[in-house]
Amino acid sequence: MKLRVPLLLKLGALVAATTGFYTYVGQLVPQKEVYPPKETQIKADVTTAEMVTIGKELFEGKGLCTTCHTIGKKEGPFRFPDLEGVDTRAKTREPGLSDIDYFAQTLYEPDAFIVPGFNPGMPTINKPPIGLTDQEILCLIAFLQTQGGTATVTIGTKHKYNGGGTTAVAAAPAAPVEKVPAESAPTPSQAVKP
Amino acid sequence: MSPRAKILAGAVLAVLALIAAARVVVTMVGRHEYKEPARARAADPTPRQQGLADEHAAEEKKNAAKPYVEAQYRAFPVVGSRVAIWVVAQLHLLFAAFVLAVPIFALIIEFIGYRTKDVRYDRLAYEFTKLLSVSFSLTATFGAALTFMLMILYPKFSNYLMSVFSPTFAPYVLLFFAEAFFLYTYYYGWGKFSPRVHLLLGLGLNLVGTGIMLIANAWLTFMMSPRGVSDSGAVISVMDAVTNFTWMPINVHRFIANIAFGGSVAGAYAAVKFLQAGSDEERAHYDWMGYVGNFVAISAFLPLPFAGYWLAKEIYAYSQTLGLTMMGGTFSWLFIIQAVLIGNLFLGANYYLWLGMGRVEGAVGFQKYIKYLLIVVAACFMVWATPHSIIATVSEVRAMGGSAHPALGVLGVMSAKNTAVNILILTTYMSFLLYRRTGKLSTVSWYRTGNAVQLAIFGAAAAIVIGLGIYGYFVEAKVRIGLSVPQVGSVLLAMIAITAIDVPMYRNAKMSAEVHWGKIPAISQYVLIFIAVTFTWLMGLMGYVRSGLRQHYHVYGVLPDTSVDAFTPTLGFATRVVSVTVLIFFALIGFVFWLASLHDKKDWGEGGHE
Repeated sequence: MKLRVPLLLKLGALVAATTGFYTYVGQLVPQKEVYPPKETQIKADVTTAEMVTIGKELFEGKGLCTTCHTIGKKEGPFRFPDLEGVDTRAKTREPGLSDIDYFAQTLYEPDAFIVPGFNPGMPTINKPPIGLTDQEILCLIAFLQTQGGTATVTIGTKHKYNGGGTTAVAAAPAAPVEKVPAESAPTPSQAVKP
Repeated sequence: MSPRAKILAGAVLAVLALIAAARVVVTMVGRHEYKEPARARAADPTPRQQGLADEHAAEEKKNAAKPYVEAQYRAFPVVGSRVAIWVVAQLHLLFAAFVLAVPIFALIIEFIGYRTKDVRYDRLAYEFTKLLSVSFSLTATFGAALTFMLMILYPKFSNYLMSVFSPTFAPYVLLFFAEAFFLYTYYYGWGKFSPRVHLLLGLGLNLVGTGIMLIANAWLTFMMSPRGVSDSGAVISVMDAVTNFTWMPINVHRFIANIAFGGSVAGAYAAVKFLQAGSDEERAHYDWMGYVGNFVAISAFLPLPFAGYWLAKEIYAYSQTLGLTMMGGTFSWLFIIQAVLIGNLFLGANYYLWLGMGRVEGAVGFQKYIKYLLIVVAACFMVWATPHSIIATVSEVRAMGGSAHPALGVLGVMSAKNTAVNILILTTYMSFLLYRRTGKLSTVSWYRTGNAVQLAIFGAAAAIVIGLGIYGYFVEAKVRIGLSVPQVGSVLLAMIAITAIDVPMYRNAKMSAEVHWGKIPAISQYVLIFIAVTFTWLMGLMGYVRSGLRQHYHVYGVLPDTSVDAFTPTLGFATRVVSVTVLIFFALIGFVFWLASLHDKKDWGEGGHE
């Protein structure tokens, strides 16, 4: 005897099976929850070494830098510049600008200079949606300096965009300046948080 | 003792007993009565009544001094506020899309009927319109639910949007009234007015509906790409807020997508009616209706990727961060799911067309090409669904030499995907062209030349698409991004040019075989329903990515989301929510179909229920 399945049941099964299949496909791709970036608290007497650690966290987190930039990617395609050894290039990229000045310019006024071969696209980092504070940007610069150079920036460093002149000036630091080369930059687990 | 003395003694005893009983009662009651504690009165400075009065006064004072604190968020039970809003908003959008789309093609079909004097078209347009009135009510109901839920669950965000867009609310409400007027007059006035007046009513319905969509789109696109406000969110220009960066691309994208979606749902209605049909005449009518619904859906679907490109381009132009979050960051894997959906839509649409060739005698000549088209469609589908990086264990990644597969990894980049989707579109267009020619013989003298030119255009477009796709691997990103424009342009141009040749070539074509509407396998109708479910699911998914792109912002870069739901959920979770929404939608649209079918049933007294 041939079983006669009601049409409504067939249609319901088709709709359920189709949505079920797409739900299943949705479970096959990588699953990741993305949380809002945590606020970084920076002490008044933060050291340069601590700034590098904080800068690294900002680079990977709130600053959203890794959305576009890589560090140490050997082969293209490169949509935006790879930042391995960037401090070496930053020192000579624009005549008259130190590496700190150049980094500050790329973060506060990103379209002022576009690296040859790339399109403009860098957002202004001190404005929303990223909205890093002046102090956070100094920490980010400290981290960038360790990519091919040595971190010299302090929390009191003044540059064109935070009340300084056209050339960055390191103010008397609240804590002694430590030069932090790339290889000795502390890992996030060593971070000193207030 | 004399009897008289006994009576007297008894009376005295009774009085004494009564007095004793009264005394006992008074004593007992007095013992349980509340009495001020004798010692407490002296020791406690706050008598009970005073204490109560003081407590009351303190409560009143505290209440009077209670500061007003504006709630930022309120919680929705069980599923949370975000999921509740998500489901209701998506259901509102799905019904709104349907209500906006159906009048567009109903009006076009009615106009064709008016021009050709073919009443079948008029009947078909009316059949489509029958689905509108209940859907309109459901759209309004979900719209009201969404508004109230936003005000209750997200009061701060709702207040902000109202502060920016309050000048747009009055026109919106007026347009909504106008839409109700046009829709019900268009539906209930079918056959009651002169055809021209009725067509004008349909035109009014479409214009008003589009106006409503433009206003609502301003609100939601502002959330993604705000403009016309200061850094702190203060309103500078309402007009700039309306005409924000993604407003027009979304308007165009939604307009086309609504038609595709509406066509597919109307096609599903026809499919259900076909499967329920009791006569060949009914089957023929609903087969034709399903074909028209699917034709509308696929015709709108073919240019949709181009509108999508424009939208994506504007998103990148507004904010590279937003663009990269979409295509290279959190949401990049979502586009693999999208590829599976679109691949299925292309496969389904082509399969339906190929099955449809069976309606026409003498279609064998064209059917031999189908296997080649299937190979192309399947190959493009596989390329499009190939991810750039692969989910693999550490050892597998080491063995591959990276997260990308050494051979298949090259198919995961945009050069390959742009090529695949453009070839898919060309192939589906060719399928449609073959179907259109089935059973027809061109009578024009330049038939062979026309065919050759059409083939040459097809070949040239395919060569440009594939050539630029390969070239994209050898140039830097700056150049590669720009290559999608000529790829898309060549396909669009080819479709326009081929159609421009095909229409006059088959205008007075001789019918070599009859079209037997209704003579199509039942599976074709299930394909139509599958296409409708896939379209609906795709709309849900793309609605999620558009909204989710803002991540932890209600209004990107202006109003941060500080609620417990500020995180971006996993894609698995998102797809589950989309599926639940789709199932609810189809349960409700099933109700709409059922109500629409009641129209054709006999009345109670006429033997409809025996």
